[in-house]
Amino acid sequence: MILEYTVFFVFAAIAVIFGIVVIAHRNPVVSALSLVASLFSLAVMYILLEAPFIAALQVIVYAGAIMVLFLFVIMLLNLQKTIEPRTHPIQQFLGWTGSAAFAITITYYLAKGAVILILPSTPFEASARTIGISLFQAYLFPFEMVSILLLAAIVGALVLSQKLRPQVPLEGAEQR
Amino acid sequence: MIPTSWFLVLGAILFSIGVCGVLVRRNGIVMFMSIELMVNAVNLTFIAYARQLHSLHGLIFVFFIMAIAAAEAAVGLAIFIALFRHRDTIDVDEANLMHW
Amino acid sequence: MNFDATDIVLSFVKIGIVLATMLNVTPIMVWVERRGSALIQDRVGPNRVGPFGLLQSFADALKFILKEDVIPAQAHKWLYTLAPMFGLIPAVTTIAVVPWGKPFVIPEMHVFGRTLFEGGRLFEPIIADVNIGILVIFALASMGVYGLVTAGWASSNKYSMFGAVRASAQMISYELALTLSAVGVLMASGSLRLMDVVHNQTGYFVLFHVIQIPAWNVFPMFIGFVVFSTAGFAETNRLPFDLPEAEAELVAGYHTEYSSMKFAMFFMAEYMAMATMSALIVTLFLGGWDIPWWNEPANWIGFLLSALAFGAKVSFILFVFVWVRWTLPRFKYDQLMRLGWKVFLPLALLNVVLVALFIAFRWI
Repeated sequence: MILEYTVFFVFAAIAVIFGIVVIAHRNPVVSALSLVASLFSLAVMYILLEAPFIAALQVIVYAGAIMVLFLFVIMLLNLQKTIEPRTHPIQQFLGWTGSAAFAITITYYLAKGAVILILPSTPFEASARTIGISLFQAYLFPFEMVSILLLAAIVGALVLSQKLRPQVPLEGAEQR
Repeated sequence: MIPTSWFLVLGAILFSIGVCGVLVRRNGIVMFMSIELMVNAVNLTFIAYARQLHSLHGLIFVFFIMAIAAAEAAVGLAIFIALFRHRDTIDVDEANLMHW
Repeated sequence: MNFDATDIVLSFVKIGIVLATMLNVTPIMVWVERRGSALIQDRVGPNRVGPFGLLQSFADALKFILKEDVIPAQAHKWLYTLAPMFGLIPAVTTIAVVPWGKPFVIPEMHVFGRTLFEGGRLFEPIIADVNIGILVIFALASMGVYGLVTAGWASSNKYSMFGAVRASAQMISYELALTLSAVGVLMASGSLRLMDVVHNQTGYFVLFHVIQIPAWNVFPMFIGFVVFSTAGFAETNRLPFDLPEAEAELVAGYHTEYSSMKFAMFFMAEYMAMATMSALIVTLFLGGWDIPWWNEPANWIGFLLSALAFGAKVSFILFVFVWVRWTLPRFKYDQLMRLGWKVFLPLALLNVVLVALFIAFRWI
């Protein structure tokens, strides 16, 4: 009991602190690595929520693949030396205060109005087997659609990131 | 067992951090990372409710969200690479033309 | 979850055994690598420090500790210091979910008038018997890339940077083939728990009603085995896939700027990752701790012999790592990518289809 709470608060603090580092640090590489730490501590949250399969997926997909892609692009474009000038003071101010107000409001209402303290008594069965059965029976069609979506994303990414061919017409092209 | 509302509060705070990042940053990739943070906050909320309601649907949604986030990251980063090729920057304020 | 003092002590014993083995892998493997390369290249190799040069590694360790720890002026100090730890932690922790012997019941004992292991207690030679074992391994293996990338970036050196960029691209590409080639094993055993994977391989395949061969996964899914091992070489950045540290082009790549103990940590991470990958290959495809043609008794003799068999198999795969390193030349970068995406990925998918057919026809 006390162990669970300790784990929760330590990793919640890690998630929030590194989340703030993501948006506050001026170096994109540090931002990306902080986001990895934040996502990793969210995986710990999923284990606390009795969903270890999703926790493993979180680390494999998010921390292991998507964030490596981010780092790869940041390094490929050599962005780590670009320093962002402080522009739009009004937007900056409104952004910070607005999101802080949003956070405080939603936390207040979650703590006051919609407190969920009664827990289900039986343990939650969310193993790879039950998720797989549900995925391949009830959700078979969306699952196949996701595969088509991923294929479309691959093709789209290839088309978008390919080098543009020179616009100069080839010699002798006009004569034909 | 930790009450569900603790997880919901954590999700709300992380979501707000993501919103703040999108609003105040001009670096396209950092904005994109803030969006990922928001998506993850929503995932946490989904799983917290899934445990509360004893339903697998929340977990399946998280599964799909992860797949879509992977697709989104691939396409989004490709867009930033294309933008960088044309403009030599990924500051989103510089991308203010519909075509070039 | 209820556990008592005996469980905690047993856990510490298991962690102690595994950690001691893993920490000793590096010096032993350095010696094997040097003597092995000498054997292959028809040289003598290090033979001055201790018998057969066995103490050479300890002399090296002493040298690493005594050297000056340099942090380059332009480096990002925090990440430069943290990067070797990022590299080492996944390499050490992955081994926790790998079973390394046959479980046995410790009989009740009476020592100095006290009863130990009351009513017998099951001893499972695995640190963490989690029900998502294989996924934990892939998760931690995918975290291993951050050590390289952070090191390469934080050094502020263009060669290190190239090493980091190569490492990230290579790891993502080969992780796909690695994961897909292990899917066949999961289909055959129907469980993500590595203990079940090994138990599934303890029987026999009977060919033509006469020949008995051990039910190791390597026989029905040989393609998967080849793809997994090769992708494992790429994941551990060993030759012929050591592009992130290619010393001929990148002057040691991501760890060019590192010295002293920080460099030694990268060194340890590389060899520990190798040992973990070998343990994985053995567990997934070569029957784990199973001794072929022999049904191990479920007592401490069976446990010891099966643990020895596991060690022998892992040592053999580790030797193959060394053998390959000193035999094959390094790939070019485009060849590496082409091999990963156009050869290994389709082969891994073919393996999945073949295993599905085997299962459908009830051959395995």
